Amino acid sequence: MDNHEEIEQRLSRDKLLRLAVAAGGATILGARLDAAQAALAGLGAESGRLQVLDWAGYGNDGGQAMFAAYVKAHPKNKPQFSYMANESDALAKIHAGAKPDVFRPYVGWVKYFATSGLVQPWNPNLIPNFKHLNPFMVKAGQYKGKQYGIPNDWGFDAILYRSDKVTPKARSWGLLFDDRYKGKIAWFDDLEMLTIAGLYLGFDKPWRQTDAQLKKSQELLMKKKKLVRLIWSSETNLWEAFGSGDLWIAYAWPNDWVQMKKKKLKVVYMRPKEKPIAWVGMFMLLKGTPRSRLAHAYVNTWSSARSGKWLEDNYGYGHANTLARPASSDLLKALRLTDPRAVTEPSAHLDRDIPRRALYARMWEEVKASG
Amino acid sequence: MAVAEAGSQPALRRRRLRVDLTTPTLLGLPLAWLGVFFVVPIAIVAAYSFDVYSLFPGPHGFTLRAWHDFLHSSVYLALFWKSVKMSLTVSAIIVLLAYPLAYYLALSGTKRKYVLLLILIAPFLTSYLLRVLAWKVILGNQGVVNTFLFWTGLRSPDHPISQLLYSRFAVMLVLGYIWLPFVALPIFVSLENLDRRLLEAASDLGASRLQAFWRVTLPLSLPGVVAAFLFVFIPTLGEFVTPSLVGGANGYMYGNQIVDLFGTGFPDWETGSVLAIFLLGIVAILTVVFARFLQPRQVVAD
Amino acid sequence: MDVALSKNGARLLRVFFALVVAFLYAPIVILLIFSFNNSAIPSFPLSGFTLHWYHEFLVNSDLRGALETSAIIAALSSIGAVVLGVLASIALTRRRFRAKSAVSALLLSPLVIPYVVFGISLLLLFHTIGVPRSLLTVVIGHIVISLPYTILVLVPRLDQIDISLEEAAFDLGASRLRTFRSITLPLILPAIVSSFLIAFTTSFDEYAVASFVVGTRVTFPIYLYSALRFPNQLPQVIAVAVVVLVLSLVVVVGAEVGRRVAERRFAALEETG
Repeated sequence: MDNHEEIEQRLSRDKLLRLAVAAGGATILGARLDAAQAALAGLGAESGRLQVLDWAGYGNDGGQAMFAAYVKAHPKNKPQFSYMANESDALAKIHAGAKPDVFRPYVGWVKYFATSGLVQPWNPNLIPNFKHLNPFMVKAGQYKGKQYGIPNDWGFDAILYRSDKVTPKARSWGLLFDDRYKGKIAWFDDLEMLTIAGLYLGFDKPWRQTDAQLKKSQELLMKKKKLVRLIWSSETNLWEAFGSGDLWIAYAWPNDWVQMKKKKLKVVYMRPKEKPIAWVGMFMLLKGTPRSRLAHAYVNTWSSARSGKWLEDNYGYGHANTLARPASSDLLKALRLTDPRAVTEPSAHLDRDIPRRALYARMWEEVKASG
Repeated sequence: MAVAEAGSQPALRRRRLRVDLTTPTLLGLPLAWLGVFFVVPIAIVAAYSFDVYSLFPGPHGFTLRAWHDFLHSSVYLALFWKSVKMSLTVSAIIVLLAYPLAYYLALSGTKRKYVLLLILIAPFLTSYLLRVLAWKVILGNQGVVNTFLFWTGLRSPDHPISQLLYSRFAVMLVLGYIWLPFVALPIFVSLENLDRRLLEAASDLGASRLQAFWRVTLPLSLPGVVAAFLFVFIPTLGEFVTPSLVGGANGYMYGNQIVDLFGTGFPDWETGSVLAIFLLGIVAILTVVFARFLQPRQVVAD
Repeated sequence: MDVALSKNGARLLRVFFALVVAFLYAPIVILLIFSFNNSAIPSFPLSGFTLHWYHEFLVNSDLRGALETSAIIAALSSIGAVVLGVLASIALTRRRFRAKSAVSALLLSPLVIPYVVFGISLLLLFHTIGVPRSLLTVVIGHIVISLPYTILVLVPRLDQIDISLEEAAFDLGASRLRTFRSITLPLILPAIVSSFLIAFTTSFDEYAVASFVVGTRVTFPIYLYSALRFPNQLPQVIAVAVVVLVLSLVVVVGAEVGRRVAERRFAALEETG
């Protein structure tokens, strides 16, 4: 049930204007109807706890600092969390009837969700911190000019390796396929490995590979799978295995390098010549949510420099707010935080929509099942 | 202690006991519950595998395509076969290990047999996830086994045994660990039910202990052994938690594939449903073929 | 039992038994050790003694919430499973009917279904009939899962009871229900308690089905599984795991012992008529 439509019917035009003036601000007077509606919705119609569908670690299980200011300002609408194991899981849950007000897929899914009919665009006017967000990441959250995703955490996919055990032949993704290090390599559990194979094999459009190209990528992965000790999906798993010496080479995020350095290991975070891939988390707003204004407030808190700094200091991910700076200089370096273009060409390939994602997924499952 | 057969009683009583008007009442509720909350959901999954039903938008209609792809896919069938081999190995080994335990409890005349049985079974009733986690600690490069080897000088700290964790071996070891307590139970029951007089008679006839075992005990306890084997083989076929925690890339099993098809990358629930129904089909066939070994009476002590 | 085992044989098997039991309990002991370990990541060598993690878990309201949620689900589903289990077990042991094998197999079949498949199938079911996911949906699923276990405990016990007691009650004119209440029920009460506890621990520890149908709440195993992903939660989780493990061991062992004692007393009573 779309609350905006309800409100529109209930209030007359001049009431709208009067309340709009009362709400204060030139931004509301003369603004588009939905902005006014959102403001009005906040004047009494929105209630209940904000339903947030997020990854583990971002709710009350450790991420409280990210939204503490929101909780303080809206004690009656505290967030209620359910967990998404990944975007596929979120998609399934929503299709099966779950109604989160906000959820958080990553940048490669923006177009998919934007065209799915499940989400609605945000109104950046209601997010004061929006202006501090990295413009390249903001652009990545847009589709057809509308802001479907509000960027928050981000990082790179690159290669972590033990410099005291490993001598790479080249600064390349090929290190993940190096025959010399059998049993010491870790891949990531995602169809992205096909994209990486495509990058390594030199295809010009790794996210849009042809059938022949995909077959080659898959064959490479299947052939090299016997070198792989672990296909990780949780960082803890990676840290335990890498930290104990089970692994010498791994697909990894910047914070993984920072953590292994903290364990006094000799590690290098290698940016391959084919370029690392950059990922960005995107808050999305469910279509027809009765708590749109609260959702905007929540996302605004998440977008603050203070939350950003906490995220960087505690989870080792970058944050889209350009004012957020971590305490660790290692992390600063690994994330190239001083360069606003860090996530995009020519520094990195920003992860993007895969038109044939279903096919990639199937082929990756086959890689995992093989051998 | 066997229940007296109804047929051996006088006709009057037999009539009364045979009156089973209330059987539908008794069975009605449990069967209805299972019908609605077990059979129907599985039927839905089956429907999903034939694309008769789907949660996601798009064109749908009865098709055997997903089944065709699966049965012609060497990758998924090979994975299934791999899981079968792993389950067979684990089941065989722990049944072999459990038999002497059950034998000891049932036939050594120890006074505390039920307490000991309980001590044996109890770990099975505690948290599965955490027992698996404990093994991660034991098997890692810096785990108990390896640090012990370093300490005794049998291996240098630079060369830990790496294949303990994140391997097929780890999966089989942990699965065996999880299921060993449970497996002893049906074997114990069949040995308990063994008529001691048969053994005494064998002994009177001059058989040695070994002969008595081989020709009397073992054959008579075979139903329990078969039941035990099936009770571990069937669940481990569909295992996914242990492989996901200690299996690494190599220990990936058929159950993991089902989970991943429903969970990661992109919804491919059709293929996932096919794999799920295939597994259920195999399990159903095994259950039917070996039905007489899987009766409740066969399994539990007392 | 000299015919089955020589003295040396018995000794050998006793040692083997002890070794296996040691093997079974060693990982639990290891968890116990690490719950007092002064380090965020469980690995050797040990870093010193601390009670910090126990304290952390006691003040962690989300963890406590998860434990409560699991306890509620476990209690409700166990009651359901026991009720259905009693009904089914009586039918299986006291009634003759065709297709007993098939019915028996159906009742036990939840033992063999992969829980991830079952979880997904329930999710689809609830979506189809329009039931929102909640604690209730998990309870429904757990009743299905626990039902076979209750039957596995109750059927042998019902088999064991001398039915001449029940026959006597019939002969004296008691109705079926009265017979059950006065004769059978007291005799199987220890088994009922036992099966309740088994169902409880099964539900409490269940992860796969719960993760699909629990909706927005979090059960203890779900909390555990996600804690395996974030290291700062892990030590507390190990502390609470030790508590849960020890408690469940004590409860289950205690209940079984209690049940056997009670049933032995009943048996003695039966014998004296």
